[in-house]
Amino acid sequence: MRQIALVVLATLSMLSLYQPSAHAAQKLRVVTTIPDLKSLAEAVGGDLVEVDSLTRGTQNFHEAEVRPSMMLKLRRADALIENGAELDAWADVAVTGANNGNIVRGAPGRIDVSRGIPLLEVPSTRVDRSMGDVHPLGNPHFSLDPGLAPAITQNIVDGLSRLAPDNRVAFEKNRATFLQKLDREMGRWIKLLEPVRGAKVVVYHPDFIYFLTRFGLVQVGTLEDRPGIPPSPQHLVQIIRLMKAEQVKVILVEPWNDLKLAERVAAEAGGARALVMATSVGAVKGADNYIAAIEYNITTIAQALK
Amino acid sequence: MRALILVLVSSLVALLPANAAAQATTADDAAALRKEIEQLQKQLESVTDRLKRLEAQPPAPSPGTAPPPAAGAPPPTAQQPAQQPGISALDIARPREPFGLYQQRGAGQLLFDIGIAGDFVGELTQRNVEKAGGGSFPGLENRFFPREIELSFFGQIDPYASAVVRIEAGEETRGGDITVNLAEAYLTLLTLPFGTQLRMGQVRNRFGWSNEIHEHDLPWVDRPNVMRNFLGEEGLVEQGFEATFVPDLPFYVQALGGIFNGDNETAFGRGSLENPLFTGRLRTFLEFGTDHALQLGMSVASGQTSEDRPSTILGWEGRYKYRPDGWLHPLVTVTGEALLSIRQFNVEADTNGDGVADSVERRNKNRWGWYLSGEVQPWRRVAGGVRYDWSQFPQNPGMEWAIEPYISFWPSEFLRFRLAYKHTERTTQTRDAFNLNGGSARNVDELLFQASFILGAHPAHPF
Repeated sequence: MRQIALVVLATLSMLSLYQPSAHAAQKLRVVTTIPDLKSLAEAVGGDLVEVDSLTRGTQNFHEAEVRPSMMLKLRRADALIENGAELDAWADVAVTGANNGNIVRGAPGRIDVSRGIPLLEVPSTRVDRSMGDVHPLGNPHFSLDPGLAPAITQNIVDGLSRLAPDNRVAFEKNRATFLQKLDREMGRWIKLLEPVRGAKVVVYHPDFIYFLTRFGLVQVGTLEDRPGIPPSPQHLVQIIRLMKAEQVKVILVEPWNDLKLAERVAAEAGGARALVMATSVGAVKGADNYIAAIEYNITTIAQALK
Repeated sequence: MRALILVLVSSLVALLPANAAAQATTADDAAALRKEIEQLQKQLESVTDRLKRLEAQPPAPSPGTAPPPAAGAPPPTAQQPAQQPGISALDIARPREPFGLYQQRGAGQLLFDIGIAGDFVGELTQRNVEKAGGGSFPGLENRFFPREIELSFFGQIDPYASAVVRIEAGEETRGGDITVNLAEAYLTLLTLPFGTQLRMGQVRNRFGWSNEIHEHDLPWVDRPNVMRNFLGEEGLVEQGFEATFVPDLPFYVQALGGIFNGDNETAFGRGSLENPLFTGRLRTFLEFGTDHALQLGMSVASGQTSEDRPSTILGWEGRYKYRPDGWLHPLVTVTGEALLSIRQFNVEADTNGDGVADSVERRNKNRWGWYLSGEVQPWRRVAGGVRYDWSQFPQNPGMEWAIEPYISFWPSEFLRFRLAYKHTERTTQTRDAFNLNGGSARNVDELLFQASFILGAHPAHPF
């Protein structure tokens, strides 16, 4: 027994001496919980950071499975950028398994981008689970609104600057460059959606409220009975009636939700269409970065509502 | 704003002709004034048009852009631009303190999370099994009972440590009072150097995969036979210290070492730090693409029994999941664990052949057992699987095997029902067990029903 223990200890000691080689000199190792934040962190950090995401765009971020591979990414991280507002609360379990004091809650390397974001759909009455998987702090899907990118990137700049104060000027410069580019695209996006401003849409899960509000589209219903609760047949009948009455032409669907069901409802509602949306960077083909993901959503909706 | 401009300009327009009329005495003066008024009117129209355009345009994403309206507000329209409640561009741009905690959530919030998990089990089996106490929940056969109602408190103590306290209540004896226990209470030091972490208190030991899983979170109604036979009904729950180390490697390895009292009466029972229970575990994780993942681990627990005899349990574990990209749940999960018990017993011996035990001999017994479970979840709310158990008994001779198919149904993420059938067979050599009250439980058929719910906060489960 003692021999086994000695062998294990010796092996671990040798392993602990191992240092991964060729890590780019002085680059901050940043991990984000969702791909949107990876893209924004890359825009802000430029070549001063090395960014990885714990999840992929095709995943439902509410129900991400905590795998040891997440812990491996977090083990060496200087910073963890999280969405906050309880979208990625599972990150705490991954952080605990990573044994990295740099990124535990309260450490300078823990960056919550929801700080300062005025959240929508904050419950104004008592909430419980009879309302489904409600978020007591408000709807956490704010990263889909490009109009909030300034606030999100400011939080990233602040967080990264805590770890690398000398690079604050570079981070600010990168952020300004990114926002200028986003500004130009925003003008074009507004113009694209201007003809369909006020159009009514149905969504599968309430992921899109920030995006819809920003561009003047109106969410009139959800396919889910309540957030996170699969739709009942009665609810679907009601939604079909609603879509007919309100002349809804599109249902916005997350890549991880049941597209076939949405298509059946859309067909029943009289020629509406179910659109798979880029709920995050990497959620659909071509949405390789933040601006491309928003571009995909804008053009998809604009074409469908034309 | 527009109204103000209109009033001002109208007043101006109204006053100017009056003044002009009073002062102008010639036709040229009147013409000049008329021209001036026309110019002012044009300017007014231009300003009004510009104002209309600005009001119709949504905010652009420049630093300090107005965010969307607050909750409950209607979406912006051409007449109603987006509002910006409670935060200005300067607020967003201003660098903030790294540990500012007082945004978003207001007064009255708790500084930790509270959750309740309820787990009710029903078991139907033969009368002889009930008489012999040989079911999966000994003493509770042919009953529907609260197995575990768990109240959990968890959160950060400060920036350096977190804590978990779990109190559980359940029925442990037939018709008896509900007993309340401290299931777990520990703190974890999170910011130790060199990739280490220290947990201290009363913990469900991280020994193998299933031991640290709480009853309501298990993928089966009951704990695997080998775990119950070797570690008792509750599993390995100990008081002491547990340190983990995650080396900075290109692949995930977690090493764990612990020192505990050794209170577990089934496997150890010495209950003293003078002769403590040592635990260890090595765990690694492999991913094959994005869809396939495999976790492998080895565990050891070594201590002394209440008879001061050495007892060591070695464990091996494996867990595989196939989760197609974009799925909200795994399609296939395979889990297996094997345990080897190496234990010394005091056995009374009759050395002079007079039929009376006159000495105590030490006898080594190596016993082992294992289980293998497979689960398929083709739909988000439904899963079905089967578990096969094979286990010897640490002290008694003989063995048992069991097969347990089951089906689980989740109406929502927080509510689950499970139905299982379990068939168990035990060898005839099995002595001093499953034979209470003159009964016998060699062949056992059980119908098991489970209802579990979660209220409030519940932390995510590890792989």
